Amino acid sequence: MSRRRFQILFARSRGNHEEIPRFGRAVGVTSALFLLALVLSFAFSRLNYGWNWEAVYQYRRMFVSGWLITLAISAASLAASLVIGLAAALSHRSPFLPLRYLGKIYVEFIRGTPLLVQILVFFYVVADAFGIGNRYLVGTLTLAFFAGAYISEIIRAGIESVGESQLDSARAIGLTPYQTYRYVVFPQVMRRILPPLAGQFASLIKDSSLLSIIAVSEFTLNAQEVNAFTYSTMESYLPLALGYLALTLPISMLSKYLETRYRYAS
Amino acid sequence: MSRALGFLSIAVFILVLFSAASPAFAAKTLVVGMELAYPPFEMTDASGRPDGVSVQLARELGKALGRPVEIKNIAFDGLIPALKTGKIDLIISSMTATSERARSIDFSDPYLSTGLCLLVGKDAPVASIADLDQPGRTVAVKKGTTGHVYAAAHLKKASMLVLDKEAAAVLEVVQGKADAFIYDQMSTFRNYQRNPETTRAILKPFQTESWAIGMRKGNGALKAQVNRFLADFRRSGGFERLGDRYLKEEKESFRRMGYPFFF
Repeated sequence: MSRRRFQILFARSRGNHEEIPRFGRAVGVTSALFLLALVLSFAFSRLNYGWNWEAVYQYRRMFVSGWLITLAISAASLAASLVIGLAAALSHRSPFLPLRYLGKIYVEFIRGTPLLVQILVFFYVVADAFGIGNRYLVGTLTLAFFAGAYISEIIRAGIESVGESQLDSARAIGLTPYQTYRYVVFPQVMRRILPPLAGQFASLIKDSSLLSIIAVSEFTLNAQEVNAFTYSTMESYLPLALGYLALTLPISMLSKYLETRYRYAS
Repeated sequence: MSRALGFLSIAVFILVLFSAASPAFAAKTLVVGMELAYPPFEMTDASGRPDGVSVQLARELGKALGRPVEIKNIAFDGLIPALKTGKIDLIISSMTATSERARSIDFSDPYLSTGLCLLVGKDAPVASIADLDQPGRTVAVKKGTTGHVYAAAHLKKASMLVLDKEAAAVLEVVQGKADAFIYDQMSTFRNYQRNPETTRAILKPFQTESWAIGMRKGNGALKAQVNRFLADFRRSGGFERLGDRYLKEEKESFRRMGYPFFF
């Protein structure tokens, strides 16, 4: 088979810059999905397993309520983590040294310890000492602080990727620090941090499942409960995978859209 | 062309991988699944080896059947799926033989009886299980246990905290975040002994249950062998010996309080 006969299957160049024609994209996506379906359907056909969807269907309300809780927790901690991450990244550049080192210590501590331990310690020790008993609030804040540490490093790397010479040039043409950030640094940073940020948000959504250890009744815990009641593992966990995809796919699509919007900056 | 061939060979490779991995039978070893997190029935000794009543029971069973025994440590709510998919041959994990479980797996004759009871906070206004089915009450349970199933079915007015770990459920009661933790008599007694300043134990069981060995459905020969072993082991005083070895203190205390002991 010559490459010309199958040229619909090939892009003109490596990399990700050219516009793929719509038909070519459809063919590419379909054949990739087909290959995946082939492998998966073969694997499942070899599985010797008594499927029992009815038992799981009876508990559909638990899936819905768990999914909504996960959506709410993820959305709240996502917004909070962005604020925390931005503040920590800026504190890294602060001339006030205690603030700068506070930012550094925060990032090292959070990134260096397991989220599981953080959730347990925050809820059973710290929050208990301050008299905060609401596990949903504590869980959301813990997640936000956890993701915030990673986001601050993403943002810091983005800011530092803007060369020193550009900042000097901005100063030379008389821009104020605010104007420098607003018109020189920010558009470039936006474009560079979007892909890692989208990845971080997706893992934040999946990490929210760890809140089940402090009995936050979220999506994963509810699916595990259904599994415990019905002993139908696959039937409980496959909807779980789809539910998480429904949360993470929009995020990566939004990130793709924003990436093209900020493309002019490079 | 080379690229298309590359894709094809990867696909074929994956198919081969899957077909090679699935059939894994024929070993004569008896694989017994349990969660090693429930001392003194399922636990690990100081050097990390499986130990406890259930482990000894599994070894004795292997001896009686003339098969080597392998213990697999699996989380409690993963035991039945592991059994159904053939990863293990038997479950000996302090598992209650309930009718719901019996729909998906088979059970041997029961070898031990116990009951669900309550660990409550020192000042919680709870005297019995009936006091818990009220709005505003919070009940902690361990995920996948009979206490979990009981609370989901019978305590509809209370709010339920579902926890992965027994220790976390105890902590909820100790810190007053939950009014009660529903669990079996022996563990409740132990947890109360560890936290006498903050908790009380209401040991009178409100639901009795019996533990049995789980196995795949339709395996009548193995079931008959296991039942014969359990009867022989009881007759020869094996359970008494295990009780004396692992549960001496509980045995004494329960006799003093007038509750029947487990075996």
